[in-house]
Amino acid sequence: MEMFFHGFMQRAFQASFLISLIAPMLGLFLILRRQSLMADTLSHISLAGVALGLLIGVNPTWTNILVVMVIAFVLEYLRIVYRTYSEVSIAIIMSAGLALALVLMSLNDGGATLSINQFLFGSIVTISKQQVWILLGLTVIIGLLYFIFRKPMYVLTFDEETAFTAGLPIKMMSILFNVLTGVTIAVIMPIIGALLVSAVIVLPAAISLRLSKSFNGVILFGIIIALIGTSSGLITSYELGTPPGASITLILIIIFAFTILMKYFMRHIKLEKLFSRSDGS
Amino acid sequence: MRYIEVKNLAFQYEEEPVLENISFEVHAGEFVMLTGENGAAKTTLLRNVLGLLKPSKGSVWLSPTNHIGEKLVVGYVSQQVASFNAGFPSTVLELVQSGRYQRGKWFKRLDGEDKKHVRRSLESVGMWEMRHKKIGELSGGQKQRISIARVFATDPDLLVLDEPTTGMDVHSQEEFYKLLQHNCIEHNKGILMVTHDHEQIRHYANKHIELVRKEGSPWRCFSMDSCKELSKHPS
Repeated sequence: MEMFFHGFMQRAFQASFLISLIAPMLGLFLILRRQSLMADTLSHISLAGVALGLLIGVNPTWTNILVVMVIAFVLEYLRIVYRTYSEVSIAIIMSAGLALALVLMSLNDGGATLSINQFLFGSIVTISKQQVWILLGLTVIIGLLYFIFRKPMYVLTFDEETAFTAGLPIKMMSILFNVLTGVTIAVIMPIIGALLVSAVIVLPAAISLRLSKSFNGVILFGIIIALIGTSSGLITSYELGTPPGASITLILIIIFAFTILMKYFMRHIKLEKLFSRSDGS
Repeated sequence: MRYIEVKNLAFQYEEEPVLENISFEVHAGEFVMLTGENGAAKTTLLRNVLGLLKPSKGSVWLSPTNHIGEKLVVGYVSQQVASFNAGFPSTVLELVQSGRYQRGKWFKRLDGEDKKHVRRSLESVGMWEMRHKKIGELSGGQKQRISIARVFATDPDLLVLDEPTTGMDVHSQEEFYKLLQHNCIEHNKGILMVTHDHEQIRHYANKHIELVRKEGSPWRCFSMDSCKELSKHPS
């Protein structure tokens, strides 16, 4: 209980609660648009944004958001150019982001190594009030946009051509979605860490996809799963001194494995019941 | 009233021309079938008509309004639409309801009238009983049916259909064509449909466009053979 009296832990729980609300909404669309790796790409680009901020002496959160927003546009352009093998765009940008981050870091005479480590692996000790406020603002924006645009996004995700013929501005919607995903990653990266931020965004939706038949049901289950994963991950991180991103990811993976096993056994039980009924009749 | 006007359309992939000299019109209340051998660029032509591809020459014009002056609503069933992602988290009902969003319901709740449309559309393809099933659990033929039901639920002024009866048995096909014809005659819908089944459909359609390979071209390029009027009022 003592952990809840620390200011940094309170901020960590506030941040994780907000992340749990956003992650399943973005994660579901990323999975269904076959862009799960886009979160990973943007997190690598985020590193370059952070390295740039540290190099020129500007708050890395802002340079990070700026760089990620620019790349979100480039990603959409490359996705159209390489329409039939869109993962190429992800491979190009991911390696470009990491290469740029490494070059910028080396130009910084090694002074930024500690900060970069924090961005790579995440830290709950350093979450500031400002970060929580930014995250709250972002959660409100994403929540509102989801509420307003959930129907157009449903059709866009189901089939882009159907969405186009229905008169939806599919290019603008895709870019806006990429930008929002990028900004979210830039904001939560210092907490979760660049290497695992995509897992935290994608896993809750990936788990809940197996649990619900309906679109809204997946989002709802995703939020519950994300809440369980992030809060128990934070507690584990505090108690064992492990990195928060890694702890949360591992717990989400345990939930993932558990749901697969549960589904497997439930199907078996159902089949057995069915067979015993048909044997009896 | 003209819904589609295609004038001297040509289309090429990279340097290779695939369509040339295509001109036709589709009017309200007209059921037009588009045929041609495999690879005759029928789908490419439809995609040009819908604006999914840009013609390299000529023009495509889609009427902005319908026959009563309201915004023209287009319904499209593509060839691949039924091969949607099996893991897409949606029930049959949710998917077919999404057809109503186009009717000014992107940001509004569906009302009783919308729900009636959805029910009628699902019943017309025999899928009402399956409405609570996850779409990924359906067979290929059932997926095709709900894709059609979704378009019917939209109640579009112009239907653009790309081989919509793939996977349907003969009886269901007949019923489907009758339904299209009914929509055409009674509700003044315009229909442009790609099909291989022209012997069966010619009893229902009233215009036939055939794409044939262009003689003397070094490319596999197709042009219009003719645009035959089948009958003014199909039987």
